Amino acid sequence: MSRTKTKKHSSSVWMILPLYFFTLVFVAGPLIYMVALSFAQPGSGSAVEWNLTLENYRKILDPVYLQTFRESFQLALTSTVIICILGYPFGYFMAKMSESWKKKAMLLLMLPFWINSLIRLYGWIIILQNRGILNHVLKALGIIDKPLKLLYSYPAIVVGMVYVLLPFMILSVYSSAEKLDWSLVEAARDLGAGKAKAFWTVSFKLTLPGLLSGVILTFIPSMGLFFIADILGGNKIVLVGSLIQEQMTRGSNWPFAAALAVVLMILTSLMIGLYRKITNVKELEGIG
Amino acid sequence: MKKSTVIALCAALSVTAAAVPVSADSDKELVLFTWENMFPQEVLDGFEEETGIKIVYSNFDTDETMYEKLSMAKGGDYDVVIADDYIIENVVQAGLAEKLDQSKLTGFENINPLYQGQFYDPNNEYTVPYGAGIPLIVYDPEMVDIEIKGYADLWDPSLEDSIALVANYRVINGITNLMLGKSMNEEDVESIKETGEKLLELAPNVRLIQDDNTQNALLNGEASVGFLYTSQVTAALAEYPELEVVYPEEGLGFGIMGMFIPSQAPNKEVAYQFMDYILQPEVAAQCTDFIGYYSTNKAADEFVNPDLVVPDSVKKGEIVQNVSAEAEEQYNKNWTEFKAACD
Repeated sequence: MSRTKTKKHSSSVWMILPLYFFTLVFVAGPLIYMVALSFAQPGSGSAVEWNLTLENYRKILDPVYLQTFRESFQLALTSTVIICILGYPFGYFMAKMSESWKKKAMLLLMLPFWINSLIRLYGWIIILQNRGILNHVLKALGIIDKPLKLLYSYPAIVVGMVYVLLPFMILSVYSSAEKLDWSLVEAARDLGAGKAKAFWTVSFKLTLPGLLSGVILTFIPSMGLFFIADILGGNKIVLVGSLIQEQMTRGSNWPFAAALAVVLMILTSLMIGLYRKITNVKELEGIG
Repeated sequence: MKKSTVIALCAALSVTAAAVPVSADSDKELVLFTWENMFPQEVLDGFEEETGIKIVYSNFDTDETMYEKLSMAKGGDYDVVIADDYIIENVVQAGLAEKLDQSKLTGFENINPLYQGQFYDPNNEYTVPYGAGIPLIVYDPEMVDIEIKGYADLWDPSLEDSIALVANYRVINGITNLMLGKSMNEEDVESIKETGEKLLELAPNVRLIQDDNTQNALLNGEASVGFLYTSQVTAALAEYPELEVVYPEEGLGFGIMGMFIPSQAPNKEVAYQFMDYILQPEVAAQCTDFIGYYSTNKAADEFVNPDLVVPDSVKKGEIVQNVSAEAEEQYNKNWTEFKAACD
């Protein structure tokens, strides 16, 4: 609908031009370069030789490297499930608060964003480390007598993931619960539906788009957030992201890194496609 | 109004431009080309005072930048360069380094032979080592039950979940090679695979793998053993001197920063004077203390911070070099497998 409008106003084409230019130069350009690079051969040092080869993709099929995809997927799935369980009720009930409380909750939610997420993760080190706060508290309460090795473990990574990505889920659910027409819930109740049934058939269905876009907003980034595994996991889990980073830097194998990135990109695009198909919700359009 | 400002600016510029060539009395100038913060100010001042030669300190960020600039200048522009071992190999091969006249360098014989005859300068014709970086094992004797003497001890079952490693895949593969009696730069893919299998056995003992501030894990009690870079060893000892430093009996893996004179250096005599000055034991010790790398000058050892002197018992050392693409790939694979097994 809006497309025909823009056609009429030919002057607005000039307004769009910078955007096109930007997209071409800074999005399409690097993407094309990356795809081309994934078919090249590594030279000495970080140099690249432009002999077309499928070798980089064949290498990904090596069990060692396939494992990193599995590991990344597993971690992303675990974190996303936990984020859904924590984030959905939070966002939902936040939308039901009074105006002034809503504002306060929103402020508290946004506050951490003022600090770089890396620094916040270092904060988690202080909490989780051997002589850290959590171990002190547990010891003082008499729950443990020897400090637990909390840091540099799988749970520590999941905690970090959930912590960094939770706000995105809350905000997404909140914005869709905010728009919810409560009179529909009332109507359902008037017509004899119980609390649970009214929630399930009306509220949940109507906030589902928020939940699903929250899932996309958390699942996709968590496939690539390698620095959490580095900082809180002590680098002991190899995620696709860390593998790409390592191949770019120390390994100096840019073509292999590019091939890994291309595969990761295809996988995430497939997932987004899948979501769209399942939900068929117009609101999700544009997020991919 | 505007015009006059422009004129004033131009005038100011031309004055500064004219001021530069005044110091171009090239007999009295040494262009030193290295990273930032490689010399204590006293040493630079001392040289200027003693000789009346002005030092122009020009710096680069990476070895690659140095190489690029030096080859663009065709071996000219700079009088003394300090850079890493592997890039010096390229410099020498490209004919950009001057063959040293050792008779002009008193104190050349004081150089620790451990750091001589290395791959980048097998006959010690072009370089004078300035400092050495050596990743070493450091441990907290209070928390470790065994005495650690070499790399092999890291595999001891009593060290379960307690080692902090630096995240350098060639170094970690390399020490496993050394432990198995091979070269750090083993090229044979089958043999590297064996190294990988041995490395997997180390996995249960690894607490964390990290490149930055790895010593913190040791200091805050997360790990009881560390395999750390030189700067990290120094930092750890400064905070907790009771830590035990191990010079592994299987041999060291190290890196060397070497000093050389470019082939077309504008002022070679001055360059020799500078090298000669730096080779004086007291001066060398001052430099070593300042940069915090290991002393390469035997005569300086008595003046230097004792933590920066490798004991005489250590006879063997090797530098990580580039290997073939196949070997490189296998080392990478070993590393990824190893990290995944650590969880």
